[in-house]
Amino acid sequence: MDPYYLVLTTITLAAIYGLLALGISIIWSSLGMINLAQGFTFSVAGYGAWLVAQNISANGFAVVAGGVITGALAGALIGGIAFIPLYDKPNFPLRSLVATLGISLFGGQCLLWIFGPRVKALPKIFGVGNVHFGPAVASYDKLGSIVCSVVLLIVTLAWMKTSRRGLEIRAMMQNPEGAALVGVGLRSTAMSVMMVTGAMAGLASVLLSQNYFIRPDAGVTPLVKGMVVALAGGLGSVAGALIAAVLIGFIEAVTAVTLGGQYVLITQFLFIILVLLVRPRGIAGMIEHTRE
Amino acid sequence: MSAPSDTTSHTAAATALVGRKRLLPRLKGHGGASWHRWRYPLTRRTPLLIETDYSLTTLTAERRILNPRPVLWLLALAILAIAPPLFGNNSFVSASTNFAMYAAINVIWMLTIGTAGIFSLASLATVGVGAFGAAYLSVYDGFPWWAMWASGPFFGLVFGIFIAIPAIRLEGFYYALLTVGITELCRVYTVQSQKLGAASYGLFGADGFVPRDMPEHEGLVLGYYAAFGVLLLALTLYRSVNGQRLGRLLRAAPEKHEAFAEALGINYRAARIQVFLISSAGLGGVGGFYATLLHGASPSLFTMDQLLLLLAMIVIGGIGTTEGAVLGTLIVVLFDKVFIGLGPVRLILIAGIMLVTVLFLRGGLFGIPEQFANWRAKRRSERRGLQSGKGGNVMPEDAIEILDKQSIAVRRFDARLREELKGLITDSLIEEHRTTNGKRRSDALERVLTFFRRAGVEDKYAILAVRPFAEYRIVALSGRRGVPPRVVDDQVFATPEDALHGVFLKRVQDLQES
Repeated sequence: MDPYYLVLTTITLAAIYGLLALGISIIWSSLGMINLAQGFTFSVAGYGAWLVAQNISANGFAVVAGGVITGALAGALIGGIAFIPLYDKPNFPLRSLVATLGISLFGGQCLLWIFGPRVKALPKIFGVGNVHFGPAVASYDKLGSIVCSVVLLIVTLAWMKTSRRGLEIRAMMQNPEGAALVGVGLRSTAMSVMMVTGAMAGLASVLLSQNYFIRPDAGVTPLVKGMVVALAGGLGSVAGALIAAVLIGFIEAVTAVTLGGQYVLITQFLFIILVLLVRPRGIAGMIEHTRE
Repeated sequence: MSAPSDTTSHTAAATALVGRKRLLPRLKGHGGASWHRWRYPLTRRTPLLIETDYSLTTLTAERRILNPRPVLWLLALAILAIAPPLFGNNSFVSASTNFAMYAAINVIWMLTIGTAGIFSLASLATVGVGAFGAAYLSVYDGFPWWAMWASGPFFGLVFGIFIAIPAIRLEGFYYALLTVGITELCRVYTVQSQKLGAASYGLFGADGFVPRDMPEHEGLVLGYYAAFGVLLLALTLYRSVNGQRLGRLLRAAPEKHEAFAEALGINYRAARIQVFLISSAGLGGVGGFYATLLHGASPSLFTMDQLLLLLAMIVIGGIGTTEGAVLGTLIVVLFDKVFIGLGPVRLILIAGIMLVTVLFLRGGLFGIPEQFANWRAKRRSERRGLQSGKGGNVMPEDAIEILDKQSIAVRRFDARLREELKGLITDSLIEEHRTTNGKRRSDALERVLTFFRRAGVEDKYAILAVRPFAEYRIVALSGRRGVPPRVVDDQVFATPEDALHGVFLKRVQDLQES
């Protein structure tokens, strides 16, 4: 087993899983909604980036921007359908969950209808080639993915820590009623949360599409992975999501090297079930009790 | 008959309002007939709640069915048993088979979600495990179809035990998310495993219960009746779990009231897991049936889209009821299988219905009557609030809801009386009341006092002697035995005469405000 390869794969996977899980985690803790339409955001962003690459420019920045903007728009759409009309209605958590699932079915079929079942490929935005770090070899794809997602993660976290909007989001995560009482606009904050997390899913989509194709149902696997990472890390905890992303990325890399690719999901799930049996709220999850 | 009924409809009908139309026929008979009940064999339970009453218009005895559900269930099942094979072509019959099978799955799934309160999304995965297990035994070990039917529940139970382990610790949405993940895990495993038919996208070649030499239409009809039988079995299972001891235990321990149930000695965790395992075994059984129907199993059972369709079925009908599950299944299967010519648009339509249902309805289609009644009651009370200036007069639309029509006349008379008495109240009258206690009083004051004394006991003012001859306060009687009077305000009177005058002032104030 090559340790350098292992570390590199772990970091790549952790960065992408972190992007996906963080989105689900932030939405849950600030809006109290489980967004299972994140997979739809992911697929739509892939198609958005593809449309930009086909019609406007195959420049890397343009493609990434296309994916990110489409993702943010899809996030806003989900927020507008599943959160805004429902958040003050009875039985909100279940109804919003079902609504996001409905959006995911609706959107997936619309994509299939519009773009057809044939897969699409994005241009290689980071170019083709390898970089040598001593004995380790990293392709441009991997390096680009790591750099981009780490940059976006840092930017998002810094924005959450320093900006006024970030403060409002954190206030809503701690106590939604209290935040509303002191004048935080629930709807506008919710929409910005949805757009930011949508943008994160959009970037993850463009990055993952360097290695995978764009399909109408391309979002399912990333959604499931991001969801279980968020679950293992503790819904609502940023640090927990990142720790879980690293751990699960590591397990995936180790399993793929030692046992083979088809056992990846099994070992991941055994790990997650184990974690959840020991800590039912995930590695760092406490916040749900404070929400109630 | 395996029609689930609910006792809540009894209370709903008992408070039924005058003037509402009844959809069910009224039966004749009184005396001994009023006490006759049909019973389920060997039990004291009665399928129909019947109330005997006397018609307000003709004064004849009539017996009314209070819960229409068993009747409607019987009708619906009769239509399902006769219509598809009789009127449908081959594709319609096979769509009906699909409907019956998915309805059975949803009814059993409702045990997990509704009765046990475990929000598991692994229902189709359990069916898939049962189907793959049974198909595996048939393909590699040569099991005949009846042995596949028998082995399905076993696989479902084993899978249920496996996924019940996290359910002990996890709650609500955490568990829901985990089960979505487990479903995806099953899909990836079956797609990749050579032994489970990765090459042919599914494990096929299993035995079937339809004889091979049977003509196509007859085979399809046989398949339909078998699936219909599975649906009936599922309904029986639902009723015998939800309506019996386990279901009652869990109804006493709803969400957020678990601690109370535990204090009563209800081991709700054990009951939940028990129901979960029973429903897993049932779902596995449907899986075994699925494998014999389609001669195998396919990984498409584990796809997210199938899961979403299944969820759409129970959401459209209304989560928590069997009739909701069956009606939702009917709608979704109708769109999915019968309008198959529409292509992806039909799924978009289903998703649209699902979204509209969840955005506008609280309890699915079967929750509409209750939601509508609530909405109408709210509008009524708003209107009544606007009409309070009419002095208690009854509007025609309210009048149909008042059983004792004489009270309408009384209220009208009262309103006119109050208007007249208001004209009598002057400063000199109040002063007269203060000074003439125990003496002869004018006619105007006596009229006002007689009206006040006539008021009902409820909310009637009284004087409480806190310390006799020193401290008196005004209280309002509750009007109900055992419920103490409430203190009205902070005023303290030194003598009973002052207190009496205080009560008079309060009544005058109430009269002026009415």
